[in-house]
Amino acid sequence: MKQENNKAHKFGMVIDLDKCTGCGSCMVSCMSENNVPFKEDESNKKDSITWMRVYKLTNGKSFPDTEIVYMPRPCQHCGGKGDHGHSPCVSVCPATATDYGYDTGIVSQIYTRCFGCRYCMGACPYHARYFNWWDPKWPEGMEKYLSPDVSPRMRGVVEKCSFCYHRYQAARDTAYYEDREDIEEHEYQTACATACPAGAIVFGDLNNPEHMVHQIVKPDPHPDPYNKDVVGKSRNPKVFRLLERLGTNPKVYYLSEREWVRKAGDNYLDGEWDKIKNHHGSSSHG
Amino acid sequence: MSEIENKTENGSTESAGGCAAKDTEDDKGLGLGVIFFIVAFVVCFLSGTLLFPKLLYSKKEQPFNFNHALHVGETGDCETCHFLREDGSFAGIPNLETCLDCHAEDALGETEDELVFVEEYIVKGKEVPWLIYSRQPDCVFFSHAAHTKTAGMDCVTCHGPIGESTSLKPYEENRITGYSRDIWGKNIWGIKKHSWDRMKMDDCAECHKEETGHQGYCFQCHK
Amino acid sequence: MKVDRRSFLGLGLGAAAGIAVSPVGLKLTDDSSIWSQNWPWTPVPVDGQVNYENSVCSLCPGSCGISVRKIENRPVKIEGLAGYPVNDGGACLHGIAGLQYLYDPSRVKTPLKKNGDLFEKISWDEAISLVAEKLSEIRKKGTPERLACIADKDMGSVSGLFQRLLKSFGSPNFYTMPSLESYLELTAAALHGEGLTMGFDLENADYVLSFGAGIIEGWGSPVSCFKANASRKERHAQLVQIEPRLSNTAANADQWIPIKPGTEADLALGLCAVILNNKLFDSTATADFRGGLNKFAANLQRNYSPSKTAEITGVKADVIEKLATVFAKAKMPLAVFGKGRGDGAQSLKEMAAVHTLNCLVGNINKKGGAFVQATADYLEFPDESMDDIAEKGFVKTKTGRYIHQLIEKVNESSTPVIEALLVYNANPCYSLHDSKTVKQALGKIPFVVSFSSFLDETAKQADIILPSHTFIERLEDVPTGAGLAKSVVGLAKPATRPVFDTKNPGDTVILIAKALEGSIAESFEWESYEECLESVTAGIWDSLSEEGFAVLSQGVPLNSPSVNIAYLADNPAGISFQGDFEHTLIPIDNMRLISGGTAASPFAVKTVADTVLKGRDSVVEINPQTANGLKDGGTAILTTPLGSARIKVSLNQGMMPGVIGMVQGLGHSFDNKYVSNKGINVNDLIGPVIESGSGLDAASGIRAKISKA
Repeated sequence: MKQENNKAHKFGMVIDLDKCTGCGSCMVSCMSENNVPFKEDESNKKDSITWMRVYKLTNGKSFPDTEIVYMPRPCQHCGGKGDHGHSPCVSVCPATATDYGYDTGIVSQIYTRCFGCRYCMGACPYHARYFNWWDPKWPEGMEKYLSPDVSPRMRGVVEKCSFCYHRYQAARDTAYYEDREDIEEHEYQTACATACPAGAIVFGDLNNPEHMVHQIVKPDPHPDPYNKDVVGKSRNPKVFRLLERLGTNPKVYYLSEREWVRKAGDNYLDGEWDKIKNHHGSSSHG
Repeated sequence: MSEIENKTENGSTESAGGCAAKDTEDDKGLGLGVIFFIVAFVVCFLSGTLLFPKLLYSKKEQPFNFNHALHVGETGDCETCHFLREDGSFAGIPNLETCLDCHAEDALGETEDELVFVEEYIVKGKEVPWLIYSRQPDCVFFSHAAHTKTAGMDCVTCHGPIGESTSLKPYEENRITGYSRDIWGKNIWGIKKHSWDRMKMDDCAECHKEETGHQGYCFQCHK
Repeated sequence: MKVDRRSFLGLGLGAAAGIAVSPVGLKLTDDSSIWSQNWPWTPVPVDGQVNYENSVCSLCPGSCGISVRKIENRPVKIEGLAGYPVNDGGACLHGIAGLQYLYDPSRVKTPLKKNGDLFEKISWDEAISLVAEKLSEIRKKGTPERLACIADKDMGSVSGLFQRLLKSFGSPNFYTMPSLESYLELTAAALHGEGLTMGFDLENADYVLSFGAGIIEGWGSPVSCFKANASRKERHAQLVQIEPRLSNTAANADQWIPIKPGTEADLALGLCAVILNNKLFDSTATADFRGGLNKFAANLQRNYSPSKTAEITGVKADVIEKLATVFAKAKMPLAVFGKGRGDGAQSLKEMAAVHTLNCLVGNINKKGGAFVQATADYLEFPDESMDDIAEKGFVKTKTGRYIHQLIEKVNESSTPVIEALLVYNANPCYSLHDSKTVKQALGKIPFVVSFSSFLDETAKQADIILPSHTFIERLEDVPTGAGLAKSVVGLAKPATRPVFDTKNPGDTVILIAKALEGSIAESFEWESYEECLESVTAGIWDSLSEEGFAVLSQGVPLNSPSVNIAYLADNPAGISFQGDFEHTLIPIDNMRLISGGTAASPFAVKTVADTVLKGRDSVVEINPQTANGLKDGGTAILTTPLGSARIKVSLNQGMMPGVIGMVQGLGHSFDNKYVSNKGINVNDLIGPVIESGSGLDAASGIRAKISKA
């Protein structure tokens, strides 16, 4: 029976930075959902594995004009240049331990296939990938809370956010069982999205106009006229992506009313922001 | 550098003498070498093919024998015991509770195996530690619902005619990996005659390519 | 024929070729790669049927509904419960990490008895009879009032059982830890009368003036507050945050007004002055004011003119006037008190002054305003049976008004004023100011019984530990307080069998009471806590057991309480911070840590930024202007009148110059390397300062000095 792949999803996320409180629920929900280990000292953030990490941004002004904003950063599930699936990490992996799922837009990471060269970590512009420098160890008895839906990692492999792919699998299983063609929006939600007490994370199918994420982002189906590599740019002037001009085409979008926050999403030369901020997707508001 | 050269020169003079002495025996030496080669080749090849599997696998017995044919006869299908749960996940090998649906507290038959089942497991409330022939590593995700329900595949396609068996074959455990011999397949070369002879990733990919036109993305089957 | 080197070469080559063309190489390569991908020490979680158990989290007073995901009855994940009236789906990081408490190998696994410096395991029977024996001795001497109890709160049936035990024993000495709930009751009592409590309708208010209340820092019921805050955008509601530091709440607010620490009461009174002076108040509301509104207004006129207030608080006079005007003219204004999480040191003057703003603009018991109503009492305990000793003991005066006075009395007295202490769900040796003197007081009490699940700072001081189930293993009624606009009681249900040999604290109290025999045992005639719970919550049991919760009150209360301004009209004295150093040290509440007695979970500690905790060092925040040349990330010595500590420095433009901020919730000394021995407990550096009128510890800071290490 020939089936599947006829309707490609493009799962993505939009995070409202004005709603985000920096509380850390998404990080902990992610860690407990995905069997992420912990160690005695996690204050060296370079070796602290957090698939979802909340960064603190500041406008750099001095007291009392300082402003701060929190920015949760999962794997951006890049579509690569032109959104053809050549994500920065996927294209450098010599082991095919990470690939681009054209049916979902999700970038995989297969721990048993990975041999730990860390090329992908070097290639990722978002620091979304983490290396297991040590074998994970759970205090005696604590391994009882490990979930069978995500396999625990071992020393020497890279891991990262999977958009809780196992939840997609579980939702599809239920749909198969109930003889449904496809899953509903609410059936597949990532652990961070469901945990967020502020409702700042909206997850869904960017290809489905009925999904909230599509309605907020309003992705442009045509490539950016100024940069052909950029596809799916938001037509919502409050919405931006991180380092969008690289053409990595992330599927994680951010939303903010504050201009300085939107500007912080990329690096600009002096005066450059003022020239380009009026292009769709990054025009000035607030 | 010069030291090495010196040594080489010395060495070559000596070996030149040696060679001269051996020249006469050269043919015989070569012949013996060929014979040795052939013998060693045959011995090693045969042991690699015949003896090696015996060393690689250790045989383990199941906790007690199970008659699939008998149960299929009673229930009429596989799904009564190996069912999909309502959330679409697969229940796998039935747990004690599922068995008790029919077996209640008393034995239904009179076999010795059922007596073991009742005394050792039902009475003690212990799950039967079945050795699972099709057990895959932890990194594998497999959706039974997708294959049996949506794609309408038969259990036999992957699991073979196990429903016709009246006894459980010994579980052959790979000493290196800990998985059953059934994953690689009985044939040590990995050659299969039937679709159910092997359960390696390539076998999954092969069928996927045939049926869906694509071998599938990593996350489709890995977690 | 001679076997020579070549023949061996042939043998070797033959063997190699034979092996090479046999399946050995292929098979071994495959097998070894599978072997190397599945190390025996990498755990393989067992799969099985998924089911969900709904319960209520009782880690904090927020009391959120939770859904515990289980695989074959093994809890694997905690998530927020959709449809629960408090949190409706969301959850905070501490609740989500709850299973790290459940399975923590450093939990108290069996009853323990102190022997010298070490604890030894004893059986439950032994432990209960030991406790009963010690308590009986106190009673035999005719001094039952020398038994004291410290609990986290006075709500819920387990706390009710402790109170009942003390009463039938004959002691008035039941104390609770400072909590937002207790402050709400005190404030309501100061302005409206006894027996009332307060809630804030944050979900509807359209102009919220928060005096340091960390609405997204864990104040009140955290998830409910997060939701109310997040909906601000859609509701076009404004939030103005007044505090010395750019907290997350301040950063998220529409306006941040930095203020000198400890002058919040003055600003509130300054705003009252503008509202009264400019006749911006709701005259129908003020018509009912008792206690001398004119006297109050005159006082304010004299002491809190905008310019004077500006001088005290550091907030500009025009900002004060504008703030008061916008607040008074807003459709649904709401002033909120309770600095930080609202459970630390607070001044009654400040809380009353802030709440007076609500009273003046007439938003009491109106939509989007402050709800003042009777404390929800759903528990119906039968009357205690009390013998002579109990009757005589119970009517004696409490040793101290609040817990601080108790600690002080114990430390001051040369003879034991308290001979036995029960500590339930509280960690005073960690979370009260000047923790050293608290430990000293506990050391002076001859017999201390802890009901803790963990070997926390207070449990370490105990003679006997009777370990309790964690909230995941427990049956319990969980009432919400926490300043919510509605009052809900949830039913926590065991999501799993107890992991260790622990008990429900309700059962432990019943066992102790039974072992004490006589009239005390008669007061505890239930077979088990379960039976007790069902009978004392009889009125709402059906709803509790079927729905998992019971809503006691929601929506705007019908009656409007009277306002008595007498407390503030008398111009009560505030406090000033201890010491005379140039800086002021203030504690910071950080959502990712827990400021109460419980340590944050390993997951939560993992999320803490390296600008808060670096290695084993606490990092303090200070404005570069007043950093005295200290470098960002450098080590320094922080000194307060209580002592010095080695810390790291984080230069932060979000701090008011002259203020040093140190996070609360670090410096635990449990036997758990993932969460303990990290940083400093800020309560070691801040001493209590008692507010004269209220008797509360109101030290929301202390003077401090920072210098190069």
